[in-house]
Amino acid sequence: MSEVFLQRVEECAVNANTKPTQLREHETLVEVEQQYVKQFISKVWNDGISRRLSTITGLDLGEKIGIIYHFWQNQNTLHVRTTVQKTSPTAVSVVDIIPGAILYEMEIHDLFGVTFVGNPWMDKKLLLPETWPDDLPPPLLKTSKSPEIRKRLKLEVE
Amino acid sequence: MKMSESTSSSNPTRREETAGLMKYSTENLVPFGPIHPALKEPEYFKLVLEGEKIVEVIPRIGYVHRGLEKAAESRPWVQNMYMFERTCGICSFVHSLCYGQAVEELTIYKVPKRAKYIRLIIAELERIHSHLLWVGLMGHWAGFETLFMWVWQDREIVLDIVETISGNRVHKSMNAFCGVRRDMPENMEDHIVEKMKYLADRARYYREIIDTEETMLERTQKVGKLTADTVEKLCAVGPMARYVGIQNDVRLNDPYSAYDEVPFNIVTRNEGDVQGLLRLRLDELVVSADMVSYAVKHLPDGPIRVKIPPTIPAGEHSSHCEAPRGEIFYYVKSTGGRTPDRVKSRQPTLANLPAALEMLKGQTIADVPIVLTAIDPCFGCMDRMSFLDTETNKQWTWSGEQLRQYGIKYYKNRR
Repeated sequence: MSEVFLQRVEECAVNANTKPTQLREHETLVEVEQQYVKQFISKVWNDGISRRLSTITGLDLGEKIGIIYHFWQNQNTLHVRTTVQKTSPTAVSVVDIIPGAILYEMEIHDLFGVTFVGNPWMDKKLLLPETWPDDLPPPLLKTSKSPEIRKRLKLEVE
Repeated sequence: MKMSESTSSSNPTRREETAGLMKYSTENLVPFGPIHPALKEPEYFKLVLEGEKIVEVIPRIGYVHRGLEKAAESRPWVQNMYMFERTCGICSFVHSLCYGQAVEELTIYKVPKRAKYIRLIIAELERIHSHLLWVGLMGHWAGFETLFMWVWQDREIVLDIVETISGNRVHKSMNAFCGVRRDMPENMEDHIVEKMKYLADRARYYREIIDTEETMLERTQKVGKLTADTVEKLCAVGPMARYVGIQNDVRLNDPYSAYDEVPFNIVTRNEGDVQGLLRLRLDELVVSADMVSYAVKHLPDGPIRVKIPPTIPAGEHSSHCEAPRGEIFYYVKSTGGRTPDRVKSRQPTLANLPAALEMLKGQTIADVPIVLTAIDPCFGCMDRMSFLDTETNKQWTWSGEQLRQYGIKYYKNRR
């Protein structure tokens, strides 16, 4: 079961110029460059390797911002990881392939400041308050400190 | 309340900006929510109406967003477990279970078998209490107050059992890394089995009622229709996927805890409407009650906990569990320190929200409370609903109770 899954992921990965790594039994990680993300995810979704997207996770990796798409099918988990530069955080949206990803992308946009090109709701806020100052860095970046956020938001309320 | 989108619809440039949304000349924009602290959690929905029909829904969540993921990065591993348990006031246990499983996988320690069974018992009791709460609320919003009273009375039985086991009704704080904090009380077995049998009988009886009672049939049948294809595309989870026939259940697909040892049948329905959701959840009550009885009878002996050091080895891992509302997901990343580098938590209601918005499209205002309650959301806020007619600029506000009465009256007049 697991071998078949891994084999199918490997076939997809060839086109995306990458190779899967098996982290544990039933758990596979694929590192995909930003330009191949849409092609790879479209293959995973449309070929039925996985039709279940758990969520999309954002990560602060220092110079870069990591984006992980967590797929699962039965006992197998597939993590598709990509990175974007912190200086120009622009990623490609997968909403036209997986419409259910729309809120996950909005969440990362709010909390990490990554803009997903192709997401129709990128101009809206999902989690952050309307009073969030524009010059305050996105809250989940490591450079953004909780006391600073509290201080700034309190000023906004007063 | 922000009205800028609706009031500026006469402005041609603004209309172009929101093209696709403002395509009907006769539409009204109805802000739904956001704030009334008296009722559960606040949410805000912008409903675009065409006459009485809903054509578009735009969500705005985050009114109770408290930044738990950020807070987790500065707290010790074990403290986070009890912080994440407080994410939800209904399905609290499953949050700590899922977070705990993700962290446990990073260590070399294994969970004792007895602890796995106790975890299953608490998780299933929580599902019973959550589903009963939901069935009661459905009765309330449909104008069937008697059902609400009966069901919530039965819910007390489950809460009493949970309190006897854990000492608390809602925030059980039962979990620890690689085990549970409290053992099952002695001589509880017969009591739990008897009560579970009673609850299963009650669930079957409620099932009969909702199948025959006219009020419930009229309010729920053919309301909130979705197809399996739409549900799959919108990544809906749990009962929201099972009510259109998709076998989406983490307990079955990817067993965790003791779910691979306790026999159970997954329930799916094919109706694809709110009536199907009611039947599904009532059938699941029977399944969960049987699972608790089985687990209590077959509870293995042995230790309930393995103590682990406060630092977690570097690495990353994800875990998912089946909460009462569907798949819950945690991702943790450790750099080997006393605090996590990153914790990501995704609750089932966020995953079910796109599907719920799709369910609302094509429904009338009278169906809004029942459809929004049908996904078993972690939000309430039916208490404030203001209406704006864009043509006459007439504005009025209804309280939650007025909206409920409107729904009941609407269906009465239709007869």
